[in-house]
Amino acid sequence: MSLKGKVALVTGGSRGIGRVIALKIADEGADVIINYFRKKSTAQSTCDEISARGVRAYAIKGNIGEPDKIDAMFDEIESKFGKLDILINNAASGVPRPALELDARSWDWTMDINARAFLLCAQRATRLMPNGGKMVSISSLGSRMVMPVYTSVGVSKAALEALTRYLAIELAPKGICVNGVCAAAVETEALKLYVNDPNLPKPAWQTTPAGRMVQPEDIANVVTFLCQEESVMIRGQIIVIDGGFSLFPTSFVPEGESSES
Amino acid sequence: MTDASVEETVKQIVMRIVRKPDLNFSPEATFKDFDADSLDIVQILVAIEDHYDIEIDDDELQEVQNMGGFLAYVENKIAEKG
Repeated sequence: MSLKGKVALVTGGSRGIGRVIALKIADEGADVIINYFRKKSTAQSTCDEISARGVRAYAIKGNIGEPDKIDAMFDEIESKFGKLDILINNAASGVPRPALELDARSWDWTMDINARAFLLCAQRATRLMPNGGKMVSISSLGSRMVMPVYTSVGVSKAALEALTRYLAIELAPKGICVNGVCAAAVETEALKLYVNDPNLPKPAWQTTPAGRMVQPEDIANVVTFLCQEESVMIRGQIIVIDGGFSLFPTSFVPEGESSES
Repeated sequence: MTDASVEETVKQIVMRIVRKPDLNFSPEATFKDFDADSLDIVQILVAIEDHYDIEIDDDELQEVQNMGGFLAYVENKIAEKG
């Protein structure tokens, strides 16, 4: 229970990777606030799971691509909890289109949610962390590897990673540790939007040296470590969680191990 | 029977988001007729949810054929809220 007494906010925390991170942090004893985009029933279900761990759970609706929603969320956190110790910037969205088909609106939507929101959340969160805190951003390999139709998300994640480094230095004197994790494709509902695309390369589970795809729990374990005091000297780093995928040339998949003939 | 105020509010939201100042908002019209893409539709749904403090279920929405059905669905959600 290394996070007992702490208050954590997980944006996009009602489902997918965010939900698993929220539950893991609750396992460590922190009260957990989850921000969710639309579905109250899903958020309520996750809150019930958090509460079952003996900590406080609280859900706040809002699209964090909108600055006024971020302000309203932090006003509510300040009013209900009076402080924040941990910020997990997890909420993400995107418009799966090739670069040449991306319009300004789709670009802005993705950048506002995936990158700008971390800046605005960090600004407000810092005011609630007078005695220090932890911030972790959730990125993906699209920030550094090219995947079809992933342009807007990949670029936004690259911005998110750069922002993580800048915040780490600026907030270091305030005792706030800022880091990120960069995950390979994780088995969640969101992935199903992409896996049926025939333009995508070989399935990740065929080309991951670790022999399986990354699971949400793999992300949650590292994120939770970055929220603990033991990681205090890690600053501004983006930890890649991919089972070795990004280091391994996919053309070297041994014959007979691919399902493709 | 469609509530005129709900119809007008929904129409204003749709026009703002699809960036068309003059829409033929007939009961038979569809989002496709307004050239609304998936991002437009998400933004329309969120704007309506925020305005009326209701929750629109994407699965339930699959059954809705046109604007007439959509307005009836929204009114039903508003009524359920009480």
